[in-house]
Amino acid sequence: MNQEIHARAERLIAQERVEGIPPADHDWLSTHLQECSRCAEHARHTEHALRSLRTMAIAVPSGLASRTQFRVRLRAQELREREPQRRALWLACAVSWAFGIASAPYVWRLFQWFGERTGVPKLVWELGFGLWWTIPALFFVVVVLMEKLRQGNESDWTRQSR
Amino acid sequence: MSATTSCLTAHRSASLFSALMADEAKSIARGLQRRDPDLLDRLIEQYQYRLFRYLVYITGNKERAEDFFQETWIRVLERGHQYDGKSKFEAWLFAIARHLVIDWQRSKKPQSLDTLTDPEQESPLQLANETEPSPLHQVLSRESEENVQASLSQIPAIYREVLVLRFQEELQIEEMAGVLSVPLSTVKSRLYRGLQALRGALQGGAV
Repeated sequence: MNQEIHARAERLIAQERVEGIPPADHDWLSTHLQECSRCAEHARHTEHALRSLRTMAIAVPSGLASRTQFRVRLRAQELREREPQRRALWLACAVSWAFGIASAPYVWRLFQWFGERTGVPKLVWELGFGLWWTIPALFFVVVVLMEKLRQGNESDWTRQSR
Repeated sequence: MSATTSCLTAHRSASLFSALMADEAKSIARGLQRRDPDLLDRLIEQYQYRLFRYLVYITGNKERAEDFFQETWIRVLERGHQYDGKSKFEAWLFAIARHLVIDWQRSKKPQSLDTLTDPEQESPLQLANETEPSPLHQVLSRESEENVQASLSQIPAIYREVLVLRFQEELQIEEMAGVLSVPLSTVKSRLYRGLQALRGALQGGAV
């Protein structure tokens, strides 16, 4: 038998275990293994290696599960306690934003009136209004950034992409 | 006739099994969304051996594996809402564990994630010094009287990992690709090399 046949048999032995092989290849391999002691030995070694891997035992340290359960419960409690604060912060942002939108026309008039009364240039009181308007938005952005920061550099690996 | 009947029965059993598995995954996903403490307790119990074994294999160190074990479950609690139940829970769990180890390794020895996971790099994800008896070797030697089992620790961690996922955890190649965040072809090539290394280690040859 030439080397190519042995090489094919060895490749199929590995392939059969890793991803499976078509029935035709399986039949060919079975026949070859009956005839070739060298490849049969190779198949036995492969099987032995995998059996050793499957049967290898690693003892879990005693109490590891209960210690972990305790830590997880503590962390869950922490998260639960922090939840109302987070909600309050988001609510404050939302209210501030809604109030900003609703009151914008009145505040504009107020700035206009104040500008005319004090003789402040139009550009200045307009800028003042703009600043007043952007504060809730800036506050919102800061809160969002803080939330992102708190969650850490959450990457795609925890998401199910496949 | 009987062959057809048994074939149909087997097909039905397989469908039923996969439907049950899907239901289980969905129910886990719902529980994780709620951060259900009882569910987490049950999952920790249920997966303790498999997760710990996987961590020992990839870190090569039992004490470190214990730390990562606890951190993994904390992450599961915090990021549980990201599991949608469309894939096996264990695949998602192993992915979390693996990335914690990679993050730790990256902070210890600054280098890019690509370097760690590039199969063409020599001995990527090498957490243990392969030239000295590793803690994993010691763990295995203590826990098994057979030298043949201890010799498995000579295999580079990146190959040990795929062998464990495929032949101990019995994950599909597609699921492994998800856990490892690499293409299918990379998973296969690592598996072939790992199998070769395993055979070599057990025969007492160089890996």
